[in-house]
Amino acid sequence: MTGTDTQRLTRLREGVESHALTALAVLTSAALVVAFYYPTATVLIEAVVVDGAVTLAVFADVLTDPFYFGELARLLSGESPAAVARSLASPDRRLGIVGFTAYQAVLSTIASVALGLPAAYLLARFEFPGRKTLRSLTIVPFVLPSIMVAVGFVATFGDNGTLNAALTAIGLPPVDLLFTLEAVVIAHAFYNAPLVARVTTAAWESVDASAVETARSLGAGPVRAFVDVVAPQVYPAVLTGAALTFVFTFGTFPIVLALGGFQLATVEVFIYRLVRDLSYAEAAALAIVELVISLGVLLAYLRYEARQSTNTRGARPLPRRPLVPTAPTLRELLPRAGLAAYAVVAGVIFLAPIASMILASVTGGDGALTLNHYRFLVERQQTGAAFQVRPWPAIRNSLVFATGATLLALPMGVVVAVLTTRRYRGRTLVDAAAMAPLAVSGIIVGLGLLRGLVFGVEIAGWRIAASGAVAVVVAHAVSGYPFVVRTVSPGLDGLDRSLVESARALGASRARVIRDVELPLVWPAVVAGAAFAFAISIGEFTSTVVLATGADAYTMPVAIERFIGRRLGPATAMGVVLLVVTGLSFVVIERLGGDHRGL
Amino acid sequence: MTTDESETRRRSARSRTRRRFLTAAGTAGAVALAGCSAERTDGSDGGDGSGSDGTGDGTDTDDGDGEGDGGDDETPTLTVATYTSFIDAPSVSPGEWLKEEFESRVDAELEWATPDNEVNYYVERAASGAGIDADLYVGLTTEDLVRVDEELDGDLFAEAGEIEGRDAVKQGLRFDPFDRAVPYDTGYVSLVYDGTTMEAPETFDGLLDDEHAGALIAQNPGASSTGRAFLLHTINRFGDGGVASDGDGEAIEGEDGDPDYDYLDYWTDLQENDVRVLGSWDDAYAAWSEGEAPIVVSYSTDQVFADMEGQDLEKHQIRFLNDQAYANPEGMAVFADADEPDLAREFMSFMLEPDVQGEIAQRNVAFPATDGAELPSDYAELAKEPADPVTFTYDELQGSVDAWVEAWERQFAGN
Repeated sequence: MTGTDTQRLTRLREGVESHALTALAVLTSAALVVAFYYPTATVLIEAVVVDGAVTLAVFADVLTDPFYFGELARLLSGESPAAVARSLASPDRRLGIVGFTAYQAVLSTIASVALGLPAAYLLARFEFPGRKTLRSLTIVPFVLPSIMVAVGFVATFGDNGTLNAALTAIGLPPVDLLFTLEAVVIAHAFYNAPLVARVTTAAWESVDASAVETARSLGAGPVRAFVDVVAPQVYPAVLTGAALTFVFTFGTFPIVLALGGFQLATVEVFIYRLVRDLSYAEAAALAIVELVISLGVLLAYLRYEARQSTNTRGARPLPRRPLVPTAPTLRELLPRAGLAAYAVVAGVIFLAPIASMILASVTGGDGALTLNHYRFLVERQQTGAAFQVRPWPAIRNSLVFATGATLLALPMGVVVAVLTTRRYRGRTLVDAAAMAPLAVSGIIVGLGLLRGLVFGVEIAGWRIAASGAVAVVVAHAVSGYPFVVRTVSPGLDGLDRSLVESARALGASRARVIRDVELPLVWPAVVAGAAFAFAISIGEFTSTVVLATGADAYTMPVAIERFIGRRLGPATAMGVVLLVVTGLSFVVIERLGGDHRGL
Repeated sequence: MTTDESETRRRSARSRTRRRFLTAAGTAGAVALAGCSAERTDGSDGGDGSGSDGTGDGTDTDDGDGEGDGGDDETPTLTVATYTSFIDAPSVSPGEWLKEEFESRVDAELEWATPDNEVNYYVERAASGAGIDADLYVGLTTEDLVRVDEELDGDLFAEAGEIEGRDAVKQGLRFDPFDRAVPYDTGYVSLVYDGTTMEAPETFDGLLDDEHAGALIAQNPGASSTGRAFLLHTINRFGDGGVASDGDGEAIEGEDGDPDYDYLDYWTDLQENDVRVLGSWDDAYAAWSEGEAPIVVSYSTDQVFADMEGQDLEKHQIRFLNDQAYANPEGMAVFADADEPDLAREFMSFMLEPDVQGEIAQRNVAFPATDGAELPSDYAELAKEPADPVTFTYDELQGSVDAWVEAWERQFAGN
């Protein structure tokens, strides 16, 4: 190869590298538009365009309806704020469906944070055999279909459940937990505490040990060092978890109806009903209300995050302490006693429902142990008709879609994270636009995808339609990438700017700096984001059933849903398959991620 | 053959070609394009996908014999849309048997389609001008038809027309006043209770007794068909109090004969007696199976399943309140722009044959729609029929059912 060739090649590479960021940003936007913005907009527009005319009537009807907004609706109808405030302060105030949805979301968020933080403390600060595996497995509850969680919860917390059996055995009165708000809040914590734990663990692990050591050497006690040095760096991650939990539980739907009952119906329940009855205008208006509230919470959080300028190089993590105390002092024993108490609570809330589900998969109708349900899976695999759902293709598709979605969501998420950690006008807008997939009702997105991608878009006399594997992967990536953004961007934001600036001064392109300098420094957060993207894809249901129009593109959650019948056995057996497959996947992802540390 | 018919034939031949192309493209696309497709929509010419069948401008791609193009003697494909458990339930479902049996009798291939939104999927397609990609729908209820007709200006379904064996359909089940949907089976929504722990009340009023506090699990009528049927049954019993009357004051009168007590009053009393309304039949039945409450709203065929799984029938007792149950007939109808309307009608007559009726009933665990269906003599011992089935007609539901459900939701969930 001649010198000029090499030069040309180098120039070409530099050219590609310098434009890589732009190209990726364009691709990300295109994916968002095709798989999210266009489809969602087609549905939301129905709230303001009725019979071809723009109107705010539907919207106004929803906003002034006490059924949805309780006492606040009177405010919107023009009543005096003082009168409304008086009613709100009275004991028989009406919250309305929206108010109640927000109320249960706040309770669920508090419960999730309370249950997630001790887990993060344990995982980030203590060393014990199996810690890495346990950390990988914390994300498993996140992917469980609601019907499986409901089965596990009824078996654990029901009238005849494990908890009551245990309470009776130790002479305590039984609790009547099911079909109450408490049951819903606990189930929401089951789903979301792992999320809080994971983002917090990732942040705690990238706290720089030298900063703590400096504080200690300057005379700060351990508590003071924690409050002044560690907490400010962990705090934003806790709030990330809390904000995401609020958004998810605000848009909750199946868990409420399975474990609470219709008297606890949320906004999403009504969106579903209205969509099913083809009343799209009102459904869209409600979805916009839901979107505004969820996005408002996310934005408030993002503004807070932007003000935090934690400065860490993440070079050396804090050393972990052994779980077995080295000396029997109070300072050593107290936190461990706390963790032991937490372990009992976590055992009841996380392990018991999962164990109940596994037990249900090996229990026959007469209560005896049996492998019949697994035999059903094998038989269905061998003899099921081509148009029926079979276990192996479901496993294969789930893994293929999730891998594809993760590989797509990672660059998308990193690009958006880079874009949102810069300072420029309108950054908040970009942030909001990038986070919107988290805040829009899944039912609305599903309907939009149906009308957009599946039915096709008419362009110049041609109807362009897309469904099948690639469409599913893109849709999953779009719903999963905000997690990559949220795990990566705080770390990216906290990086020492001088590192980036010196690399740039030495001639590295922006893309190169990201690849060689920034990414390695926030790698644990990237791996955490990858696990989330994978989990979102595995657990996703709505867009999968909408886009997988072929009989051969179904996933494990779809198979579980199909196998529900009079007896839940076959479905629980498939649920155990889902547990095992996803559990193994998460362990593999984090092991692979660990090996690449310091790229 | 009239001009109209040959016109239909010609059109169907053309679009079948198109569909065949799309199927091929879809299969190939799974590898390359993952199901991306492009199709001419202006209808001024051809309409044959992206011209891959080599007929160029496509002004004359049809060949009028209704049997594929260019001497290509492929067997025609009949696409039957239905709900998933009709073909893919873990216990039994008629789909597989029907496909094999139909294909053995008729020179055609049967393809099932089970879109997640069920019949709404086709309403969406019709409303977006995307064309209907199935020939007939199996599993229509009266409420479905009401919804379809309220939503679409044009016709989604064609009139049934000449269907052999249609006269055998029981009079009481014919639910479509416009003669499109032909019933093929029916089910009854009733109470199922655990007879080893209690004796269920015999009347609606009995459910309000103190001893049955917290005993009943029902489903959300806004999303579950059993939940909706039970709600409709209470409206039939107690009247609607003029909820859907549009202000003209005319109310549906209840069978209880008390004009001052309507279904919303009954539900207030039920709620005070701690009724549980869960989301879906799955949620409710799972909770009931775990012993959360002794009574659940389900189907009167429950014992068939229990017997199949060797369970204690005493734990699966049926109760018809006031000797009644709400009847949910299921029907089938040809799509107005089906590619294979004749084949679709052939399938409908096939569904009504006595032996097929018997098989559908057993495999869908329901009751036949026709007189003279061939059923095993002991089937009736497990599958119970109420003395007095009740149901609302299309006309009664039209313009009312939404208002009834909404009023109930607002009362039950208001907080």
